Amino acid sequence: MTALLRYQAALLLRSQRWLPPVILYAAFLAVGVQAGQPVLDSLGYAAAGLLPVAAWLVRICVTGEPPAARAVVAAAAGPARAHLACLLVAAATATVLGTAAVVLVSLVGDPVGTDHRTRVPLLPAAGAGLLAVLVCVLLGTAVGALTAWPLLRSTGRAVPALLLAALLALVVTGSPAQAAVEGLVTGSQSGKVPLPLLPLAAAALLTAGATALACALTARRAP
Amino acid sequence: MHRELRLRDVGRRYGPRGRWVIRHVDLAVAPGTLTRVEGANGTGKSTLLRVLAGLDAPSEGRVSGRPRTAYVPERFPAALPFTAAGYLTHLGTVHGLSRPEAARAARAWLERFDADAHAGTPLARLSKGSSQKVAVAQALLAEPGLLVLDEAWTGLDTAARDELDRAVGERTAAGGAVVFVDHDPRRLAGAVDAVWTVADGTLVRRTPAEDPSEPGPCVTVVVQGPPPPPDVLRMTATATETAPGTHRLTVPATHSDTVLRALLTADPPRHVVRVAPATPPTDTPGTHR
Repeated sequence: MTALLRYQAALLLRSQRWLPPVILYAAFLAVGVQAGQPVLDSLGYAAAGLLPVAAWLVRICVTGEPPAARAVVAAAAGPARAHLACLLVAAATATVLGTAAVVLVSLVGDPVGTDHRTRVPLLPAAGAGLLAVLVCVLLGTAVGALTAWPLLRSTGRAVPALLLAALLALVVTGSPAQAAVEGLVTGSQSGKVPLPLLPLAAAALLTAGATALACALTARRAP
Repeated sequence: MHRELRLRDVGRRYGPRGRWVIRHVDLAVAPGTLTRVEGANGTGKSTLLRVLAGLDAPSEGRVSGRPRTAYVPERFPAALPFTAAGYLTHLGTVHGLSRPEAARAARAWLERFDADAHAGTPLARLSKGSSQKVAVAQALLAEPGLLVLDEAWTGLDTAARDELDRAVGERTAAGGAVVFVDHDPRRLAGAVDAVWTVADGTLVRRTPAEDPSEPGPCVTVVVQGPPPPPDVLRMTATATETAPGTHRLTVPATHSDTVLRALLTADPPRHVVRVAPATPPTDTPGTHR
């Protein structure tokens, strides 16, 4: 598995296809995060923006190889494991990106509530932001896995499905990502740092299911 | 050692309401055997090979006893952001080698296929033939227990084709199973252990009587010493004891190097008296097509 992960990571890094989502995410942060803003609000914003980025990274990893190259790796390692490596590398990349965003936002943000008076402890706030980022990365990975090969093959259907699913995952009540982001925003209003463990557990379960489904289908669908 | 790969009543279709591409396939691929799969275009040869390589799960039936597998597709237009050597090193580690081993094997196989000049060339800039050499090298470098070749010879130059023939001989001699499809009916003729034909969506074994019977070029090897060891006899077309302690072996030309190596490294080592081109072993008239 280590060899597969190294291969997929090298493939993603050298292909430079990670550049567009990363640049877009940086622009998203530059527009929405400014120095002196309440830190929990900014963290919620950064986490929410990461969900579609994670889904996009999954799409990049899954579609990174031509079918012949994918077949060669799948024969050596098993198609399910090869696919799992794609998803893990994408999720890890999104996590690195999200962690950098949390550090940045915590440094430039103001550790206060929305009213700019209540103090918010910075380290717990950053921790809560990191958990929310993880929730969004996990859910983004699930969205990406469910809207790419082997579940959806044609790009014409997969990309709109990805965008729609990412949007729904962020706004529908009951979605772990929505709950985690909402928790940060209400926490900012009340001045209390939330601990989004329940959304994290729910996101982990959902993503594990989506990943298992996608990996199980790799050998069953047409190449 | 390697186990036997078995397909039991295997069927494959794409989608729950799709047409059956192949169905009721029973096949055993024993270690150390060379199996040829034939059939007209579009009969499901490639699908069968994908099932054998583990790329496609059977829609019905069971596959058991899979050894470590390597697969070579017919075309390998891999526009990946790696150099040839870098890609092969990655694939070597995916096959289970350590990084230094994989890097060494990558160099060695590129050299064998006369592509060492392209070791530092990005895959996207390789010619079709050189890409195919990379595809073949990635499959051979980890010495898989099962090698699946889907028209792997297509696109290779003559020297590389011969090298692949020899590599296949070495693989089977080392106890690996090889299954291949190739449009050239004479490919590895004389060394093939079983020929299966895909027809009407299922698999039929060609009986020996209608075997290709057009053995490829052979080599006669005369050796002195005790009877040749069994791994040598497996690769020979005929073996006769011409005088006490002298054996004349007819070997498919593709396997001659492997046979000679096995004879010279056997215990006790056999003395090779003569190696000469031979006429293929005679067939009884009538079975010859």
